[in-house]
Amino acid sequence: MSAALTVDGLRVVYDLHHALKGVSLTVEQGESYGLVGESGSGKSTLLRAIAGLAPVASGEIVVDGERLGHRRDKAFYRKVQMVFQDPYGSLHPRHTVDRLLLEPLAVHGFADIEQRIVRALDEVGLGSGFRFRYSHQLSGGQRQRVAIARALILEPSILLLDEPTSALDASVQAEVLNLLEQVRGDRNLTFLMVSHDLAIVTHMCARLTVMQNGEEVERLSAGDLAAHRVTRDYTRNLLRASAGFAREA
Amino acid sequence: MTALLTVENLKVDFATRTGVVEAVRGVSFNLGKERLGIVGESGSGKSQTGRAIMGLTPPNARISADRLNFAGIELLDIPARERRDLRGKRIAMILQDPKYSLNPVMTIGQQIVETLRAHERIGRAEARERALSMLEAVQIRDAGRVFGLHPHEVSGGMGQRAMIAMMLIAGPELLIADEPTSALDVTVQLDILRILDRLVEDRGMGLIFISHDLGLVSSFCNRVIVMYAGKVVEELPASELANAEHPYTRGLLNCVPRIGEDRHPLPVLDRKPEWAL
Repeated sequence: MSAALTVDGLRVVYDLHHALKGVSLTVEQGESYGLVGESGSGKSTLLRAIAGLAPVASGEIVVDGERLGHRRDKAFYRKVQMVFQDPYGSLHPRHTVDRLLLEPLAVHGFADIEQRIVRALDEVGLGSGFRFRYSHQLSGGQRQRVAIARALILEPSILLLDEPTSALDASVQAEVLNLLEQVRGDRNLTFLMVSHDLAIVTHMCARLTVMQNGEEVERLSAGDLAAHRVTRDYTRNLLRASAGFAREA
Repeated sequence: MTALLTVENLKVDFATRTGVVEAVRGVSFNLGKERLGIVGESGSGKSQTGRAIMGLTPPNARISADRLNFAGIELLDIPARERRDLRGKRIAMILQDPKYSLNPVMTIGQQIVETLRAHERIGRAEARERALSMLEAVQIRDAGRVFGLHPHEVSGGMGQRAMIAMMLIAGPELLIADEPTSALDVTVQLDILRILDRLVEDRGMGLIFISHDLGLVSSFCNRVIVMYAGKVVEELPASELANAEHPYTRGLLNCVPRIGEDRHPLPVLDRKPEWAL
């Protein structure tokens, strides 16, 4: 197996704030890898740095054997796409679903636009009835499906998922997680998924990194986490907290 | 158990351009000095139920109930002024996100003192003392410093503690907490719940805990009401949650991924139209 994505010693600095302090990880081809942490841990910053949305101070990012520079070219965005947390904020409010899906195709000069849009909507379970609606006419779950369709329409090999279900109701979350797993299986995609929820990450990912304050706390497999084979107190605390409220005797 | 709050057939309607939206459709329950959880997904009417009790329903809504009785007072029959006296003094509400629900241009201390002086005739110095000891009661270590900070200068967990301090300082008998920890990190969430747990216990308050998180609510409350489409579909003791009968409650419990379980794909809710009848 070859690595789809390698990050080595990545540091991100905003003015004087060190958001990422040297983080490394390797994601294999076709793997689903998770990043867990609380707010301010740098997990989203890591995704954004890979996508070219955060200022990289040092360290390197390698995608499919190619080292990325400061600017990302078009080919990179065909290969790597991102789904954001907030489906209300990440879709253009004055564009129809059709236009939202058309834009990446036009940018990358695809020819068979018509079929691709129909197929993309089909794949995320929306059907062509949604094609000419605006995002405010959709529910949160439907919007997130549109965002996933928009990411998939370029046929990327790597999907960066930044808390894709945290703004959704539990029942809708289950549908979106199932959809993500299904498209990953169908297309042999590589996922790098960020979440604050340990249960979601262990459900979706085989391996994960726990992060805190811009640093790695530890790397685990989902099985280790499920069996509570963790070495650091921080991870133990997270595990305890996600088990719910318990009254102290 | 004497009822602190009796709600019978509560309805909240909103008149919109496209017709009447019935947000709450005949909700009934009793509350003593206990913790009651109200659980549901977005649009289930759980927050509007809480707001109706508090008297924070927007003016364009129509609200009706056979009874909405708090400690012997019919809330819908009394004039607005009396309702205002109750609000904050005897019934208090904690909102979801301290970033949006605290006043950004007042210090935390000023806001707590303001609440106190709105309800009690009390001097400045004494109000300040009470505010400081309340901040200590919500486990803010450096109360004197936090007193002088503005909301943007504190973390979410700290802001939510300040909000709890503000809501409890007038000594309410009924506390409505609407998603009090949803905007917080999991570890902070537990700290806040522990503080809330102790204060509710010590002061003998009635608590209505509104949340979308069925697991969390059942670990915190005595009793749980499950709402769907503006109605109560099931009411049960929190300890009996595993034996819930309604398919919606069961579906809600089942669709959440849990650590150590291997369920692919996750079961999804198959919503039946008759649930909403």
